[in-house]
Amino acid sequence: METEKEHRTKSVIHARHLTRIYKMGDSEVVGIDDVNLDIAPGELVVLKGDSGSGKSTLLSLIAGLDRPTHGHLTVADHDLTDTTSSGLTYFRRAVVGMVFQSFNLMPTLSVLENACLPGLLAGNPPDRIKSKAMELLDWLGLSARMNHLPAQLSGGEMQRTAIARALINDPEIILADEPTGNLDSRNGRIVVELFAQLNHKWNRTVMIATHSNIADSAATVTVCLKDGKIDGQPCDI
Amino acid sequence: MRHIGFFFRFFIRFSLRNMKKHLGRALTVLLGIALGAAVFTSVRLSIHAALDSFTQSMDVIAGSADRVLVQPGGRVPEEWVSKLLKFSAVREVSPVLTTYVRLAGKQSEPFLLIGIDPLMDRGFHKWQILQHANQDGKSWLELIQKPSSLIIGKSLAEKYALGRGDHVFIESTRQTDEFNIVGILSPGGLAAAEGGMIGLTDIATFQEFTRLYGWVDRIDIKFEPNAESKDIDKFRKMLPDNLRLGPPSAAKESGQGLIRSYQLNLSILSFASLFVGMFLVYSLVALNAASRRRELAILRAVGASPYLLFMVFLAEGALFGVLGWLTALPISTILVKYLLKGVSRTISLLFVKVHVETLSLSPWEILLSFAVTVFTSSVSALQPAWEAMQVPPNEALEISRHGRMRKTSVRKLLIVGVGCLVLVVPLSLLPKILNMPLPGYLAILLLFTGFSLLAPWGLQRTGHALSPILHRFAGIPAYLAGRYVRDSGTRTAVSVGALITAVALFASLVIMIHSFRSTVELWADQTVSGDVFVAAKMGQINQFRYPISPAVVMGLKEFKNRADLVPSRRFYLRYNRFPYEFELLYLKNFFLHGDFVWLKGNPDRVRTLLTQGKGVVISEVFSNRTGLTVGDIFRARIQSSRVSLPVLGIIRDYRTQGGVVFYSLSQFNTRYHDVQWSGCRIFIKDRTHDHEAAVMSVKNDIVKRWGDKLDIVSGNDLRKTILKVFDETFAITTVLLLIALGIAALGIATTLTVLVLERTKQLNTLYAVGAGFGQIRSMILWEAAFMAVVGEVAGVLCGFILSYILVYVINRQSFGWTFLYAVDWRALAMSLPLIILAALAAAYPAVKMVFRESPATLLREN
Repeated sequence: METEKEHRTKSVIHARHLTRIYKMGDSEVVGIDDVNLDIAPGELVVLKGDSGSGKSTLLSLIAGLDRPTHGHLTVADHDLTDTTSSGLTYFRRAVVGMVFQSFNLMPTLSVLENACLPGLLAGNPPDRIKSKAMELLDWLGLSARMNHLPAQLSGGEMQRTAIARALINDPEIILADEPTGNLDSRNGRIVVELFAQLNHKWNRTVMIATHSNIADSAATVTVCLKDGKIDGQPCDI
Repeated sequence: MRHIGFFFRFFIRFSLRNMKKHLGRALTVLLGIALGAAVFTSVRLSIHAALDSFTQSMDVIAGSADRVLVQPGGRVPEEWVSKLLKFSAVREVSPVLTTYVRLAGKQSEPFLLIGIDPLMDRGFHKWQILQHANQDGKSWLELIQKPSSLIIGKSLAEKYALGRGDHVFIESTRQTDEFNIVGILSPGGLAAAEGGMIGLTDIATFQEFTRLYGWVDRIDIKFEPNAESKDIDKFRKMLPDNLRLGPPSAAKESGQGLIRSYQLNLSILSFASLFVGMFLVYSLVALNAASRRRELAILRAVGASPYLLFMVFLAEGALFGVLGWLTALPISTILVKYLLKGVSRTISLLFVKVHVETLSLSPWEILLSFAVTVFTSSVSALQPAWEAMQVPPNEALEISRHGRMRKTSVRKLLIVGVGCLVLVVPLSLLPKILNMPLPGYLAILLLFTGFSLLAPWGLQRTGHALSPILHRFAGIPAYLAGRYVRDSGTRTAVSVGALITAVALFASLVIMIHSFRSTVELWADQTVSGDVFVAAKMGQINQFRYPISPAVVMGLKEFKNRADLVPSRRFYLRYNRFPYEFELLYLKNFFLHGDFVWLKGNPDRVRTLLTQGKGVVISEVFSNRTGLTVGDIFRARIQSSRVSLPVLGIIRDYRTQGGVVFYSLSQFNTRYHDVQWSGCRIFIKDRTHDHEAAVMSVKNDIVKRWGDKLDIVSGNDLRKTILKVFDETFAITTVLLLIALGIAALGIATTLTVLVLERTKQLNTLYAVGAGFGQIRSMILWEAAFMAVVGEVAGVLCGFILSYILVYVINRQSFGWTFLYAVDWRALAMSLPLIILAALAAAYPAVKMVFRESPATLLREN
């Protein structure tokens, strides 16, 4: 039998009894409830569930955007349960890359500048960051749009810019929250294909939270959430 | 009616509920507007109270005369009282004498002593004595029956605990005498003059007290009701050349004119606070219109008319005005107490003596402040309201445009802004309208508007130029801040506009006050030169109408061995309706030690001609007010002499009660008639040894010999007093300025907070992609720094232009003078960084707002 320590060593994401409870006035809302999860490096995990099932809560804990109320969470050997604020900042810069449903690009920065942003925030040399961003944008088919502002891009282009931004610091894990939610089906498929490439060719761990089936074919692991708990049954969305 | 009802219900549901939801922002804006309105209202009410008190005082002193007979610069022989009654057109006459006196033996406040003939005066002035149970109601007769009887005003009685039957010693310019108080004036009529600080006596008692036997200051005249203007003209022609028949209100009108100029200038300055407050209203209404764009589109889609949306946002602005004004009322009651004291003191020091005991609540002033507040707030909401009505209904379907305000073109604003600035110069050159510098004020408004409209362009260029440099030296937060302000458009620019306005006011007033002060200092050093100044006791307050007695003059002449004497005589006259002083100086000695501050004319040549009595020099104020300039002929009637002399030069002079004309005393005595000295400056001849000791020795000698007959002051003390009065005058200005700066800081705090709230998602994204708390807070601070620096640089630039307009247009047109332009670099260098620090401090609430919502909300947008 594998020990807990061996589990933790093998897993890139290791959660035990993970619970997040939100205070809403006098009442409490359980975001996720006693979740145990182990994800091996190099998996493409599709996190599925209905609205309110806890997908986003779990993703925000794994991304270091929030802290659990109870339980234990280790991501890429970083213990997120007890990490300091600056430790979490380092974690978000170096370990994970985030992609959002609404792209969340900085409206006043160009495509290239948006892609460079996490690298610059991490204090990396601007020239090196810039050339890397250009490579990424070239790979993502955005070379011609580098100097455009987000408002001048299509939804698909905005999401590809967001992917470039997520990759700029070479994170071990890419986390995507409903990345196809604001895209048409063609662009949605392109984005899923990009995540699949990142997983297969670049060997990154990718976790996509979605309520649709668009990423099912690319998934190596599917985790279903229902009412804040991991549901052992096949996902039925 | 149904439509109005619907509109109100809709407004409550759409706007008021939203305001309630964001109560903090609404209250901040309300506070800004309330402060602005409070300052405006308090200033208007305070000066109105002073004006009201002055007018009332002048009216009751002037009485109900149709005309008054005076001798310019002198007095009227009493025999004219009986002569006038012989004219058929004249129905009644009343001789009047007035002088300021004080209670002897204590440094009491001077009060006005009025000498009248109680019988002849009954038809002219209303006054009554407070009746007591043991009085027979005829104590006014005691004024005639008992020598040295006196009736006093209520304020005077209360101030010095005096009552009927008391004996007091009163000192005048000439002597000290004992008076018997026979009554206290009851409220109304003459009792209201000078705030009740008056004494009333019989004219014979007055003449005996002041040694003015056979003379009166003026004779009030009432004509027969059927007398026509031709009869009055005929009567006027029969008068001797040295007597003038004038309106009873001449002094009142010139005093009112001076107070009104002061009122206008202070009102404009106080309006600046309201103007800065406008930016706050604009900022919040624009935010509401922008952040609720989708709601507006939905409303349009379900049938709301563009007009309804326009009116809703306009009503938001108007509501801020109404509530701001109401909130201003309690603030005003506190502020007005301070201002009332300061304003009446300033008016008394500078222009005319006013006694403001109570605040008169003028409905007109209250209505004006309400209208101005609501109007400015509504105007601030016009542009956002217009934006709101432009929202198309199909935007309700467009997800990508959600929450995005259409950006106003920076270029368009730049063009309009430059257009405004271009108009500033020609407007400044226009003459005043309706006796007010209205084109100058319009130029100032356009200057503020122009610079405010340039703010988005300024931010864009600064962000563009500085963000790469700052990236290298201050890191990514400074870079991101620069990029944000570069692209933020009008939103950020609004509070920068407010800051520009406040800083411009600050810089311009610092420059103007410094220019004014240094010119006054130069004037005081050169023109108000002298080691010791002597004048007849209470000479200044009595307009030097009582010359120094010949015996004292003889005594003063004994100092000739130790000192150069510069005797002088001042006459308070009018040129048409403009009050001025005709000052005779012993110029030969004056030019040995002092000089004028020359503005026009060759000083060397003019000094010689002036000493030879070949012309006069006039002050800049006199020149600007009368239109006389070098080469013109100055004509005046001075007592019995008719003077007609060329204007040789124009000089700077800063006495506040009108202009001044200088002529040689010795030449006047030779060419016209012999005048007595009203004052004398003394310059110590030996300036090599212990000068201070020599001055003190002369001063002490004079005090010892004529301390009871003369006002004696050292030159240094007099010049210090002049500068003290100057500094006190601008104390109110400084307070108003600080309030305007405070409102601008509120503007920055509001804008930055709103910008943080608006960008919660962006800031959370930054956090999610690796920015630390420190980096994001640093970015907000850098944004504040960008706004502060752009606001300050543009504000200072605007301030320099404004200071030129203030010095060379507003002051010239309002008061008739200009100053030597001088920039107080030290004060600017010390205070401008403080303003930047204040602006940065204003960013604190915004910094606190960052991450009020957890960054995890980014992932819960559905």
